[in-house]
Amino acid sequence: MSSSGNWEAVIGLEVHVQLRTQTKMFCGCINQYGGAPNSQVCPVCLGMPGSLPAPNEEAIRRTILTGLMFGCRIANVARFDRKNYFYPDMPKNYQISQFDDPLCAGGAVGLDPFLFPKDLQETDEAKAKRSIRLTRIHLEEDVAKSFHYEERSGIDFNRAGTPLMEIVSEADLRTAGEAFAFLGSLRQVLLSGNVSDADMEKGQMRCDVNVSVRPVGQKEFGTKVELKNLNSISGVRRALVYEIARQIAAVEKGEAIQHETRRWDDEAGATFTMRTKEKAHDYRYFPEPDLLPVRTDQGLRAAAESGLPELPAALQDRLMRENGVTAYQASVLAADRILCTYYEKAALGTQHKAVVANWILNDFLATQPEPASSPVRPEFFGELADLVAGGTINSAQAKKVFAELMANPSSPKALVEKLGLAQISDASALGVYCDEAIAANPRSVEDYRAGKGNAINALKGFVMKKSQGKANPAQVDEILKAKLSA
Amino acid sequence: MSVPKLNVADVAGLARLSLTPDETTKFSSQLSQILAHMETLGQIGTGDVPEVVPPAQPALRKDIPTPSLTVEAALSNAPAQSNDLILVPKIVE
Amino acid sequence: MSLAHETLASLRRRLVAKEIHPRDIIKDLLAQIDAREKTVHAFTHLDGQAALATAEKADLSLPLGGLPIALKDNLNALGDPCTCSSKILEGYRAPYDATAVARLRQAGALFLGRTNMDEFAMGSSTENSALGVTRNPWDSTRIPGGSSGGSAAAVAGRLAIAALGSDTGGSIRQPAALCGCVGLKPTYGRISRYGLVAFASSLDQIGPLTRTVEDSALLLSALAGHDPRDNTTDLRKPETFLAKPTGSVKGLRIGLPKEYFLPGMNAETEASIRSAASWFEKNGATLVEVSLPHTPAAIAVYYILATAEASANLARFDGVRYGRRAVDPKDLLDLYQRTRSEGFGPEVKRRIILGTFVLSQGYSDAFYRKAQKVRGLLRQDFESAFTKCDLLLTPTSPEPAFPLGERTQDPLKMYLADVFTISTNLAGNGAISLPCGFTKSNLPIGLQLIGPRFGEETMLGAAHAFEQAHDFWKRMPPV
Repeated sequence: MSSSGNWEAVIGLEVHVQLRTQTKMFCGCINQYGGAPNSQVCPVCLGMPGSLPAPNEEAIRRTILTGLMFGCRIANVARFDRKNYFYPDMPKNYQISQFDDPLCAGGAVGLDPFLFPKDLQETDEAKAKRSIRLTRIHLEEDVAKSFHYEERSGIDFNRAGTPLMEIVSEADLRTAGEAFAFLGSLRQVLLSGNVSDADMEKGQMRCDVNVSVRPVGQKEFGTKVELKNLNSISGVRRALVYEIARQIAAVEKGEAIQHETRRWDDEAGATFTMRTKEKAHDYRYFPEPDLLPVRTDQGLRAAAESGLPELPAALQDRLMRENGVTAYQASVLAADRILCTYYEKAALGTQHKAVVANWILNDFLATQPEPASSPVRPEFFGELADLVAGGTINSAQAKKVFAELMANPSSPKALVEKLGLAQISDASALGVYCDEAIAANPRSVEDYRAGKGNAINALKGFVMKKSQGKANPAQVDEILKAKLSA
Repeated sequence: MSVPKLNVADVAGLARLSLTPDETTKFSSQLSQILAHMETLGQIGTGDVPEVVPPAQPALRKDIPTPSLTVEAALSNAPAQSNDLILVPKIVE
Repeated sequence: MSLAHETLASLRRRLVAKEIHPRDIIKDLLAQIDAREKTVHAFTHLDGQAALATAEKADLSLPLGGLPIALKDNLNALGDPCTCSSKILEGYRAPYDATAVARLRQAGALFLGRTNMDEFAMGSSTENSALGVTRNPWDSTRIPGGSSGGSAAAVAGRLAIAALGSDTGGSIRQPAALCGCVGLKPTYGRISRYGLVAFASSLDQIGPLTRTVEDSALLLSALAGHDPRDNTTDLRKPETFLAKPTGSVKGLRIGLPKEYFLPGMNAETEASIRSAASWFEKNGATLVEVSLPHTPAAIAVYYILATAEASANLARFDGVRYGRRAVDPKDLLDLYQRTRSEGFGPEVKRRIILGTFVLSQGYSDAFYRKAQKVRGLLRQDFESAFTKCDLLLTPTSPEPAFPLGERTQDPLKMYLADVFTISTNLAGNGAISLPCGFTKSNLPIGLQLIGPRFGEETMLGAAHAFEQAHDFWKRMPPV
């Protein structure tokens, strides 16, 4: 992507993630999107004189859990700090954040080939399965929402003070595709831990990108540009593709890259200068004196550990190893916890787990994209697979049963009966059909005996027609061959 | 440590204060006198002393909602409001 | 005699005995206020009618039932103004109760009057108030001390029976000493700060100003204890302080820190403190000399840390959500700058600038972080001193009340007035100031007893014994 041959991009991401908690970070107001303006506020989250922060244990636990999922070091003693700057969406004009002693440091995010954009999944960059190092994960409070009018702005403080986790990567990413896969992987893990809904389009996950270019082989970084207004994972990819090309074109023309913040315009498909950084902010960080340090070694870490889910990578391995699903199917299942739970329930009672995966991922999802709300009970798929494998119905019949299952969900066994589909496997009954077929088709019998193997198909067709499709095809084949060679 | 040059107007800007020329002059001389006094800390050896870390104790809030203010109470002190939003001059980035 | 001269404890006995009604106390106080408030100017806000109305509904079965308390004007009480004696909080009405206020309410107390203070508690004389100066009831040409000068003057001047103040570097104890009443700064973490408008979060404590140690203990018992809204409050169980005072100081080891007895200190103050020390010795305590070697650094450490924290704490006063807003701001920056420049007084601006500076890039290591480290040394000083003694005895203030206007142009000299009180805030210990004598010109002198952290019971016991053996607390100011 970055390569116009001799150039490579260096990309680092800062991802803000809204935590799924009942209440805000430092007060008991509910943490919920969509309330009437300023209806979910109190003296604390409005920054009223005299109010004090009371930290949300669950938000801390979820941040530690996130750190554990990414293999971070969890601080025994973490601290909150004040980050000072004036802005109307920040009630206290300082943000309670973490600076020197964040809850989590280090860790890494693995790039699964299937998390790359579809068109890149077969490329070397996708197959490289790189691991991207994290710098840190810390916990802070979100700011209010502003609405802009002609001359004034209006502020709704409902979002102010909701818990926000910041995940910072090292500048390890080299391509737009990797950034795409990184965010996808991040989202998958966050969903698996039930930490956040992590939907970028809903603002639950927000991403700032730092990107620079340099000649391949050079160690020093180029001048970095910050990209903002990225509202989807594919938007991040498009913005990076554009920005990397822009920077390479500029340096190839001998122009210097400005140290600046650029805004991605999704419609225009281009980035535009937002502000140039003349002077770095002086945030005057210092330890938040209203809060004691947080000890994680007295129960918090243990609580987080007990909530550790099976991580997507481990889940994929297990599904492939134990259930025999393909790598692609495993990645699809690992990416969607609800679907995966549904699948695992479906596969629980049958030996034919890969068949169940095929039914669910190929046929079922096409008709019912929301398995959680589907009236089709997952056990039905195991039953269907068993009916086919056990010879009760053939695959053509199975398709009929499936269609009926979607239309009128009930037990496949019952449906087979209802549709009158049960396969005839009784040898004597089939023998009668076969005898009839031989008697009625002397020409085909002759052809077969003359060595035209295909001629047997006409006889089979006769049996199937006579039996209304219920005859067990494999058995019919066997009986016919025996009779004809007799 | 030598008495640092304190640019009162710059620092005031960080704190969103605008000072009159008189205030700037007066504060400059008063504050450099105070800073000169504070400088004496430089003579105290603190090599091995860790920064004060208050004792940590597990007094964290459970994640259980408590009532918010009514919208009316929340906005009752706001100098300017409309449609339940608090108004400020237009925010331009 | 007017009920205004009594103590909480004596009024409580008479209320329970049904000799008097809460409204009688309010009426007597209002009469005193009518006569003296013009001179003293202890209050920023008074609503006698509201107090009389709540007096009618007082529940005398509660521990403070029907007893009126004055509140320093930096404590939020639902529906009341809370100006912090600043123009920037003009028009603000508290949308909630501070925990301390709520606890007093639950204990049955009534509120009469909001007391004057140095703006945002920044000062030692109450001259930094945007709402007028308060005068010392013992000599109206002199300052009452500060920043809780209104509370001290109200209690000393019989305009209130008791009051709450806040103490960041001596703001309860120093005015108590200069006005001749009892001022308690509890151990950091003892009383919830929720609802106290913050000056310096790691130093602020709420505490009572009263006429007697017994009253101080009564209020502390109602106020102390963990509050889930204040993460820095201690988790220990509630206590009743001074439930059974022994009146004895026998066997106590009283430490005299040599750094608090300096050559050139005010002679009358020193004589009074020495004689208080001898009283303890005569009554069975042992005097030991101890050292708090980092004392000389305390003022510098304090003014770095307190102003740094204040610079952030006061950032919220920006005219957006409450309080004063500059008229017709042309843009956001103008709104911030004019609101804050018009709303804050000079001392507040000075401290915000200082605090912003000591945290700024390139300077925070030399100032803020260095001061944090020295604070650690100061704390160690106290810890090692308390291995040798049970209480420390010092003057509260290096001198009695000074004349109004004397130091307003010399902030550093003003800062030095806090030299004996600041260290305890930095170390987090509790301390109490109580009257121990008068100068020849009839100005009160205050004695400070400092306890180990959470050692209030011992401290109150010793203070009570000393107080009851003398009659300084009974003396009435002339104003």
